[in-house]
Amino acid sequence: MTVIKNRAVRTVLRYAIPFGAIPALVILGATVFDEKRYLIISFGVALAAIVLFMAGIEKKNIGSRRMVLVAVMTALAVIGRFIPLFKPITAICVMAAIYLGAESGFLCGALSVLISNIYFGQGPWTPFQMLGFGMIGLIAGYLCEPLKKSRALLIGYGVLAGIAYSMIMDVWTVLWYNGTFSPDLYLAAIISALPFTALYAVSNAGFLILLKKPIGDKLERIKQKYGV
Amino acid sequence: MREFHEYNPITVAAYYLCATAVTMFTMNPVVIGISLFASVINYILYAKNGIKPHLFSLVLFVIMAAVNPLINHNGMTVLFYLNDRPITAEAAIYGVTAAGMTVAALYWLRLFTKAMTSDKLLYLFGRLSPKISLILSMAIRYTELLRIRWRKISDAQKALGLYDDGNLIDALKGRARVLSILITWALENGIITAESMDARGYGTGRRTSFRLFRFRMRDGLITAICAAATAIAVIGLNGADVVWYPSIKTTLFEPVSIMGYVGFGVLSILPIIINTKEAIRWRYLSCAN
Amino acid sequence: MAVFELCELSFSYPNSAKKALEKVNITVDQGEFIALAGPTGSGKSTLLRLLKPELMQNGDQSGTILFCGNPIGDLPPRESAARIGYVAQSPEEQIVTDKVWHELAFTLENLGKKQQEIARRVAETAAFFGIAPWYRKHTSQLSGGQKQLLNLAAVMVSEPEALILDEPTAQLDPIEAARFFDTLYKLNRETGVTVIISEHRAEELLPLCDRMILLDHGTVVYDDAPRAIAQRMDKSSPYLPYLTAASRVFIHSGGAGECPLSVREGRKFFKSREIVSGNPHSPSATAPPGKEDCAALEMKDVFFRYHKDGADVLNGLNMTVNEGEIFAVLGANGCGKSTAAAIMTGVLKPYSGKVKLFGKALKEYKNGSLYRENLSCLPQDVESVFLHATVREELRGCEEIVNSLPFDLAPLYDRHPYDLSGGERQLVALCKALKSNPRLLILDEPSKGLDPNAKERLSELLRKLQSSGLTIILISHDIEFAASCADRCALFFDGGIAACESTSDFMCGNRCYTTAASRMTRGILRNVYTVDAAAAMIGGDRS
Repeated sequence: MTVIKNRAVRTVLRYAIPFGAIPALVILGATVFDEKRYLIISFGVALAAIVLFMAGIEKKNIGSRRMVLVAVMTALAVIGRFIPLFKPITAICVMAAIYLGAESGFLCGALSVLISNIYFGQGPWTPFQMLGFGMIGLIAGYLCEPLKKSRALLIGYGVLAGIAYSMIMDVWTVLWYNGTFSPDLYLAAIISALPFTALYAVSNAGFLILLKKPIGDKLERIKQKYGV
Repeated sequence: MREFHEYNPITVAAYYLCATAVTMFTMNPVVIGISLFASVINYILYAKNGIKPHLFSLVLFVIMAAVNPLINHNGMTVLFYLNDRPITAEAAIYGVTAAGMTVAALYWLRLFTKAMTSDKLLYLFGRLSPKISLILSMAIRYTELLRIRWRKISDAQKALGLYDDGNLIDALKGRARVLSILITWALENGIITAESMDARGYGTGRRTSFRLFRFRMRDGLITAICAAATAIAVIGLNGADVVWYPSIKTTLFEPVSIMGYVGFGVLSILPIIINTKEAIRWRYLSCAN
Repeated sequence: MAVFELCELSFSYPNSAKKALEKVNITVDQGEFIALAGPTGSGKSTLLRLLKPELMQNGDQSGTILFCGNPIGDLPPRESAARIGYVAQSPEEQIVTDKVWHELAFTLENLGKKQQEIARRVAETAAFFGIAPWYRKHTSQLSGGQKQLLNLAAVMVSEPEALILDEPTAQLDPIEAARFFDTLYKLNRETGVTVIISEHRAEELLPLCDRMILLDHGTVVYDDAPRAIAQRMDKSSPYLPYLTAASRVFIHSGGAGECPLSVREGRKFFKSREIVSGNPHSPSATAPPGKEDCAALEMKDVFFRYHKDGADVLNGLNMTVNEGEIFAVLGANGCGKSTAAAIMTGVLKPYSGKVKLFGKALKEYKNGSLYRENLSCLPQDVESVFLHATVREELRGCEEIVNSLPFDLAPLYDRHPYDLSGGERQLVALCKALKSNPRLLILDEPSKGLDPNAKERLSELLRKLQSSGLTIILISHDIEFAASCADRCALFFDGGIAACESTSDFMCGNRCYTTAASRMTRGILRNVYTVDAAAAMIGGDRS
């Protein structure tokens, strides 16, 4: 699976993963490791989703300029992850998404997690985080027109993204701790993470307001000047 | 001397994934014992970065081991009562096992993180997708560049008297100004990079991905050993079960489980075996010369 | 066969009435080494970019460009990428990837070459350029010169027939630039690659090249061997700064006989001539304008290191800058000049020694008063001071300074600071640095990347600022620039000052670390370090 060289193989893979690999993982998880099958299933699904996405992007023709801009935004997001407590990573992914397109947003989110985890530690959580921030970028990209126009929507999106991300990561925490999903534990996890979720949601909104103009104007200028 | 971590990244990544996966998906005290011991030894030999991470692990271990008997009162063998709640041996042993599992998995993941440097990650991604690996490579470069540039800009601003960190608001304003300059700099100069890419034929057709690492026979051999040991471990451990509550009943020492332990044992000390073998060969070679 | 044939080539940018290029006719033969000279905005970059189809810009083009006999536009993208190499000015931003080996392989990856072929090309290129020792390093860890060599090597892996370079050494120090030129010359001689290079370093470049093309206002003014061009120019030509010192002396002295190019030929020329006047000016006799008794900046036994266990970067530095003078700190890259600048501005603190500004220790300036009306510093990368989207916003609050300048900045007001030329950026940044009304101004490499005219203007501007009472410290490796405007010069070496004298004593006392005119006249004329002075002392042929 490691070498995806020609298009035919890649096409096969695109179908093989959802229809072959994922069911296989489910069966494997259910039979061999019955203790933590949900964990391995979700891990497999997250990984497969990322591979699928990236295979889609690989096929597309990304111009050199867009490529550089995505790399710069990714690097900014990585640097942002080193700021204690307030992390502008979501805001930067959203900026990348609404000014450079949904795919760029996805890449910015997913790749910045992958790079920063070189310092913070890789683990089974990496694919989940990649998928999480990738999705935040991707969805923002699909909503780019309204998000560009309305500041309220942008704030709403930041808050919502913060809450949704925390809640999804809590599912993973429960699975890791307990093996199966339990509503009680999930509730406990959500409550114990509440201060962080709140801080996260607020800082998302704050950074989105703060960065919208500087980053947005600069990206607009570059896009105009160089025709990205 | 070719150490374990100089093998092909595919081999190294596969090895750590196998070791972590077997550790994480089992609650077999014997396996966890082996795993914890081997991962700590591997970590000490490879990472060599002081006592701090071990202290952190120890604290984590103690807390996690203590939490289970305090909240879980199942089990028949009551050790003592705490606030009229029974503290049972079964729950305590389960707690120790679970804590051991988590800490061992953490050690394996730390080893994985340490081993998977950016160029190895890039190699793995390069095989998956040349385009994504190029973006990754560029982003890694920019991360470094932005860090250096941040310093330069904030020094320049200071020397111009525009950056005042007398109080918190001024300091934040100063930071925001540096960030703004940094973003302009990165985006504006990015165009030069894009032109340099165009000038050197980017986007003229299908890209290939040049690799410094080669997948040699010995990489294949180690990967195969790793896969075989994992398979033996998984098959062997399938029957080895522990029923924790109400009292501990185990089928841990069936002959087939013993085979599983040997399999996992070999897997977990594979880097040590390889490095020792190489060290002996070097000593032999330097004596011969 | 000709590599490039340009026939009646004209080009103009959209929204611009002026033509960037007008009826240019040039033929470039296989294996030629061509220097392209001319002031900023003369169309050099436009011309060079037209020779590289990937960098084609929007605009009106007429006339034809043939590459190896075929219209350049018909070249398939992969061939054009492989056969025409292009190296631009900035060493840093041209690099794409994070590792040196990856950067070398980048072009070939884009061309879809196989693993074995890439391995082979990369290996031979790395060996030729001497890159092997840093083959596995991070690209961000290289020095500027190494980065630019890497950029050149990364282009050469695809074995181009023509190499186009747009001011490749503008950001490098003289030693790095010399190494770059050496490599380029070796490439041209040993592989036969055609080289077209635009560059302001006439002194080093012209002796190497076969032909020089001088552009101005989009037209070709001269197109011939450098020696022949010099022979055709006269004293009043505005293009004199684009020639070497030896050639300029030759032209100033009337221009009879064979024109010298290099310093070596220049010395021969001086030996063959009569010396008319004994000593045109004895600079050491005239007192420097600085007030000896008033020290603007005083550094006494300053020691500094970055890490506790590291080596000393400043090693007992002693330095006194008098009030009202222009003081130049000269030295190679990495000798500690920039660290010294950071200490002068209080950004870094020495672990031992005293720094006094106008008689008061640096740390006694409280609450940022140091940076208000006392000291200001312009960094090497002036972009670090630009904050806004237009020059107008950038210069808000600096109106008084702008009005006092001998140039009109108004036409630039609505432009983005990054869209300006190097010289214009320098001016705008300088205005910002003067906003706080400082008494001492520190400039780090202000002449970097400027064309000769811009340097002259800057030097005049600094003189003017000095006459209004400003003390200026110039940190530079540009000896010629320091010679043109400094009152005193210091040679920085190994964390301290090795020599500190008035400019004329300094330039005439040094053997090799001095101006070309001084090197040419050493032992022949006394106390001469400028071309004008040298030329004034030359008489007729001795024989």
